[in-house]
Amino acid sequence: MRSQVYEWDAARETTPQLVAGYLGNRTSIFVGGLGNNITKPAETTATEFVVIEDIAMTPSLGTLSTMPATQTVRGLITAGTTNGILAGVAGPRGYVQVRINTTDYFLDPDNIPNDGIPGAASPYPRSINFQPSFNLYPDVYVLPGQVWDALVTFYCDSFAGTNFAAGELQCFVKYTLYDGPDALIANKLLEMGISINPGNVDWYKRSLLQAQA
Amino acid sequence: MRSQVYEWSNLQANANQLRRTTSDLPVAVVANREYDIFTGGLGNNITKPAETTATQFIVIEDVAASPLLGGAVQIRINTTDYFQNPDVTDMSGIPGLASPYPRGAPSSIDTALATAGAVGDQNILKSFDLYPDVYVLPGQTFQILYSSRDGTATNSTVIVSCFLKYTLYDGPDALIANKLLELGVTINPNNVDWYKRSLIEQQQRSRAVAGGQA
Repeated sequence: MRSQVYEWDAARETTPQLVAGYLGNRTSIFVGGLGNNITKPAETTATEFVVIEDIAMTPSLGTLSTMPATQTVRGLITAGTTNGILAGVAGPRGYVQVRINTTDYFLDPDNIPNDGIPGAASPYPRSINFQPSFNLYPDVYVLPGQVWDALVTFYCDSFAGTNFAAGELQCFVKYTLYDGPDALIANKLLEMGISINPGNVDWYKRSLLQAQA
Repeated sequence: MRSQVYEWSNLQANANQLRRTTSDLPVAVVANREYDIFTGGLGNNITKPAETTATQFIVIEDVAASPLLGGAVQIRINTTDYFQNPDVTDMSGIPGLASPYPRGAPSSIDTALATAGAVGDQNILKSFDLYPDVYVLPGQTFQILYSSRDGTATNSTVIVSCFLKYTLYDGPDALIANKLLELGVTINPNNVDWYKRSLIEQQQRSRAVAGGQA
């Protein structure tokens, strides 16, 4: 088992793209064609088990409707003039949703999928100004053979220029990859109704060894 | 069981708006009026009042609001307000200053200024932890009511937000949650897992006894 992270930045590519094309649209941080991407959709093989333990993105802060565009408030840029509107939000007003196969994880109370976790609730990076209100517990399990994704949506044109710049729109995923025998144990723990974490996988291994002795 | 969140802000392009849009603008919040963050008609809303079905159980673990303009947040289950004064009279709920959203947000904003300096330099941290959690039993309706003591000015509208964190137990997990409630055991993911394990162990023991008798 291995602790893993994935950091995504919308500007991390040879020629940063135009912000306008992505406003209000869901974008995959793995294969969305924006920022740093990977070669294929994130998926687990038959001998892998992934436990997503944390997900976070660039925070936002509400200010005033009269706040002019491109003011810097607590390190965040206030919303620009998309459609001629001054929204008064510092930061991208971004959300991140987890999708397993075709099912969105985060729902509204009317059971309709929503945009996901707000960056203001689970900020990346964390700072004195922006601290987490949200802890992803229980963790999200990606079973063997499933495809998973993290989808970013942002609603404010809170960027210094027309193109993305480094650090203006970021996302972070922390997960643990269980492979080989650890994945088998993870499946067994799931059947038994025991939380899958490195401590419990080790406990199961020890109990197997004790039973053999 | 799934960890869920809901975030509300006084940002909208139209009244009774369901989804967030890129055209959203801050709209005025009237002083001392309670706004249901789900179906109150202001900001982002959902399609119907929040309720649990017969096979759902909700545990509300955190509520928070912007620490601005005397903001506060109340939980209402069916028709009963959760937070009350010591004399059992109504109150506005948890102040945003005690449970701020976002954590580290400022508690003041100068509406006369239209520069970054308008935002106060405080970092408000939480003084309040919603423990014990609030349970929404199967078939109950719940509301989260945001109110502001000061309200917003119409010429320079402050953006306020409200945040809810809860865990949704559905299917067999909701049945176990009900069982734990009967037993007087706190409902959380660990205890639901513990109950599942104890059921499995019980089954295994029964099989072993049956095998021994045969």
